[in-house]
Parts: sequence; C-alpha cells; structure tokens
Amino acid sequence: MAGRQERLTLADHPRESPQVATMPARVRLQRMLPSIASVALVVFVMLVLFGPIVLLAVLSFDKATIIALDWQGFTTQWYREMWANTNLRAAVLNSVVVAAIVTVISMVAGTMAAFAITRFRFHGRAAVAGLVGAPLVVPWLMIGVGAAIFFFHYNVPGLFPLSLLSVTAVQVACTFPLVTAVVAARLARFEGVQEEAAIDLGASRLQVLRHIILPQLTPALGAAAIFAFSWSFNNFEIDFFVGGYDQTFPVWVYSELRRAPNLPIINASSTLISFVQVLMVVVAWRLLRGQDDEDGSSVVDALP
Amino acid sequence: MTAAAQPSKQRWKRMQRGMTPWWLLSAPLVILGVLFVAPLLTLFLIGFQHNSLLQVGGWTLDNFRTIFETQSYRHIAVTTAEIATATMLVQLAFGLPLAYVLAFKAGRWELPLILLLVLADELNPIVRIYAYRVVLGREGIINKALEAVGIVDPNHPISWLLFDNFAVVVVLSTSYITYTVIPIYASMKAIDHSLIEAATDLGAGWLRRAWKIILPLSAPGIFIAIILVYIPLYTEFATPTLVGGTGSYMLGQLNAELITETGDLGQGAALSALLLAASGVLAAVAYYLSRLNRLDT
Repeated sequence: MAGRQERLTLADHPRESPQVATMPARVRLQRMLPSIASVALVVFVMLVLFGPIVLLAVLSFDKATIIALDWQGFTTQWYREMWANTNLRAAVLNSVVVAAIVTVISMVAGTMAAFAITRFRFHGRAAVAGLVGAPLVVPWLMIGVGAAIFFFHYNVPGLFPLSLLSVTAVQVACTFPLVTAVVAARLARFEGVQEEAAIDLGASRLQVLRHIILPQLTPALGAAAIFAFSWSFNNFEIDFFVGGYDQTFPVWVYSELRRAPNLPIINASSTLISFVQVLMVVVAWRLLRGQDDEDGSSVVDALP
Repeated sequence: MTAAAQPSKQRWKRMQRGMTPWWLLSAPLVILGVLFVAPLLTLFLIGFQHNSLLQVGGWTLDNFRTIFETQSYRHIAVTTAEIATATMLVQLAFGLPLAYVLAFKAGRWELPLILLLVLADELNPIVRIYAYRVVLGREGIINKALEAVGIVDPNHPISWLLFDNFAVVVVLSTSYITYTVIPIYASMKAIDHSLIEAATDLGAGWLRRAWKIILPLSAPGIFIAIILVYIPLYTEFATPTLVGGTGSYMLGQLNAELITETGDLGQGAALSALLLAASGVLAAVAYYLSRLNRLDT
C-alpha cells in the first residue's frame, strides 16, 4: 500500500519539483531563464507603451514650463489654464457631442446589421457581411480623403458645408461596423435556442426581445457603445479631412503641435482625457467579461 | 427533425417572416452606400479626371502618369515601403514572443495584460504621438537623463531620436501593437496543447517546438495581423508629420498635402485610389494565405 502510494506521487510529478531543490544553481538558473525573459519582454513593452503617457501625467503637475528632470514643485496651474482656454474647451465639447451622436446612431444601425447577419440566412449574406466589415480594414485616411473629395466635387459644401455635421456622418459609417462586430460576436454565442424555447412557450416577439435577447445582449451593447464612443473621439483622420473649420480635440492637439505649442496645457488636457479613457476601457472590459465566460474569449472575438 | 420539433420550427419561421433581413439592413446599407462606397468610388472617378486649380473636368490618365513618373514620388513610395516594412518587422519581433507569453506563460496575468493592450489602442493617437515627442526630443527625457549621467554632452544631444525614421518606426510600432498581438495570440490560444506535449515527450527543444508547431499553427493570426497592420501603415500621415523629418516623408503625407495644400484633387484622388487598390490586392493575398494555412492544419 505504502509502496503504491509512493509510485503514484512520483508519477504525478514526472520531472518537476522533487529534484529542483537539489539542482545545481546553474541548472536552476537555466530553468528560470525563460520566465525571466518573459517578464523582461512584458515589462519592456508595457514601459514603451505607457511610460510616455505616465510621464505626461507627472509633468502636467510640474511647475516647470519645459521638460526637465528636476521637479520644480507641484501645481494645478496648468489645469486652471486649460479650463480657461476657450479653443480647447470648444474642441473637447465638439468631440464629445460628435462622439455621443455617432455612438447613438452606430448602436442602432450596428445592432440592426448584427441581427440581420446572425439571425437570418439569405442570399447575399456573405457579401453584406463583407461590406459591413470593410470599413474596419479600409484605412481611415482613404475614407477621409474620399469623403472630402466627394463632398467637394458634388458641391455638397454649398448646401452641406464641411463641419461637425459631415464629420458625424462619415464617422457613423466607419464606427457602426465595430458595433456590428461586437454585438454579432455575442449573438453568435447564444444562438437561437433560447429564443425558440420562449416562442414554444407562447412568448410574443416583443417578449422575446425584452426577456431573452436584451438581458443577454446588454453587456455587449454597453461595451460596444463605449468602444464606439472612443473610436469616434479618437478619429483624427476623418475630423481632419471633413471637419472644415470646426476643430475637434485631436485636431486641436495636432494644430497646437504644428504651431508654437503651449506644452503645459497639452500635458494637462492629454492627462485628463487619457484618464477618462482608461476608466471607460475598464468599464467596457468588465461588461464584456461580466457574464458567463471566464477566459475572456468574447473580448478577443469582439475585437475588430 | 422530430415531429415534436415541427410546430416550434414553423412558428419560429412565421415570426421571422414579417421581419426580413433586408428591412433590418436598410439603414446600415444606406449609410454605407452614401458615406463609404460612394466616397471610395469617387476616388476612382476623380482620379481619372483633371481636377486641380489649373483645370477642372475632362477625362485623363495624367494623374496616374504623374504619380508613376515623378522621381520624388517614387522616392517617397520607397521611403514609405521601408518604414512600413521596418515597423511590421519590429512589431513581429516583439509581438510574436509577446503573444506566445500571453497565450502560454502569463497565467493570471493573461487578461490584465490583454486589457492593457486594448487600452493602448483606445488612448487618443495624437496624444500618444505627442507623448513620444516629450520622451525622444533633443530636449526630451532620454537626452536629459543621459546628460544628467554624463554620457551625453548637453551641447550635442542625441538628435536622431526624434524627427527621423527612428521615431516614426517606434511610434508606429506602438500604435499598432494591439492589432499585431491579439490575432496572433488568438490563433496561438487555439493550438491543441497535446501537440506541444507530444513534441516535448519526443524530445523536441523549445526552438524546435516554436519553429515546427507554434509558428505554423499561428500563421492564420499572423496573416490577419498583416492585413490589419501592414496595409494601414502605408497610409499613415499624422505620425510622420508630427515625429518624422524630411527623410521620413510618407505617401499618406503626400496624399494629404495634394488635397489640403496643393489643391490638386485629381492627383490626390488618383494616389488614394492606387493605395486603396494596392491594399485590396494585398489584403486578398493575405486572406487567401490565411485560409490556405488553416486548411493545411
């Protein structure tokens, strides 16, 4: 009995723990090398990705007006100056209003397309799915340039001047496919089984939508809305080419940087905007992960 | 189909009948038709017409001829290809091992790290570009730090860090890393672990396992990453404008300049149309290769 137990333990750990303690230091180091390399790689990449943004945040509270290593003292002066800058305030407000409208329209159009593609089998379904997915892979520069020339050439500016309105319109076309992708990924995961069961039990179409589909879809819809808002807010190319004289936040930063830049104000506004974006992404993430899946695969599915 | 399932199926079908997919697709298709397909078709249409400050109207091939024959344009195209390819290689060099670590080694850090990658993509691109200027500039943090340690003479800071190809490649690599890592990670995640265990049992070292099993099986993800990253790299314009120098002038900048500054819509449209057509061909090839590879395995 005792002998058997011993054999089992050994079989459970064929080549791991028992020997590790007795291994020479050099061999142990060799075993650990892959994990050290992994950690080093991850730390390096994250440092390169986020180090500069964290640095901006720190500098935005520094009294110095130029980039300097030595800390000149804590101040909130730049945030007060940022608030007093009417151009910046107008640009941020423009971006928020555009993003809000784009989000609402994208949610409706995107969800409609997602339902059509996942819940119906019809001729031309593949072509429609391809067309809806196309704006996700066509670079925004092409869409922006195309739209600008389109509006100019057909003298749309006469009746429909390049402005926030044209920005909103074109952004809807490049943003709602993202909603379709996120919502369709969710719809595909719960198929039609529960809906059929509800209908069997006598539920009306409205009841199915209210009690079966919506509860399962809400997290995906919330996350899709956040990502749509974020895409619209960040869409520099479309804003730049079809915005006319109206400035959004990315265009404001861009033109500030091309002129003599007022760095501390850019630091402060960038920090504030990035902070809000971090919060939004975390909320979107929790929504997508919220329900049944532990492995986060729905998040990966949902990525464009 | 069993007899019991019959009525439910019929009832389900009847409910769907009133609501055809085309009714649901009406709004999305109108939006795409007017604001996506029409503008892209306009690019091809205007590309074949005179549409500059000098002359408007009349069909011509001049726009395309100018683009192909102008020496400086060819030079810009070569620079663009060099920067795009270098950026893609840098991203694969970091992205492949990173995807591997995420898929197989990260454990409980896996999801937080993916969240960070998603976050990197959702931060404002112009803000991110600006942040790298603060780090890389002649007056930037790296130079300041090296001066403080005494490695660099304050009168001669390292100047190639910013406003040169180096900065463009660094910033572009960070801009697209999410779309490089996530597809590769997803296809690595789908690899059957028993294959790797079998290879280990048969005595394959880590290099052999990576080369013979993990790399071929993650090829579909690599091709998707190429579609999502390599193609848009050719159309970058904000990054080279803000952190590039005269030597890193790219096609996207030329395109923007032709339209917003030169006012030659015809040439701008022709260049956009060419980029669009080229990216379509490249995307089709990469997609075909990814399918081919999936069938093989």
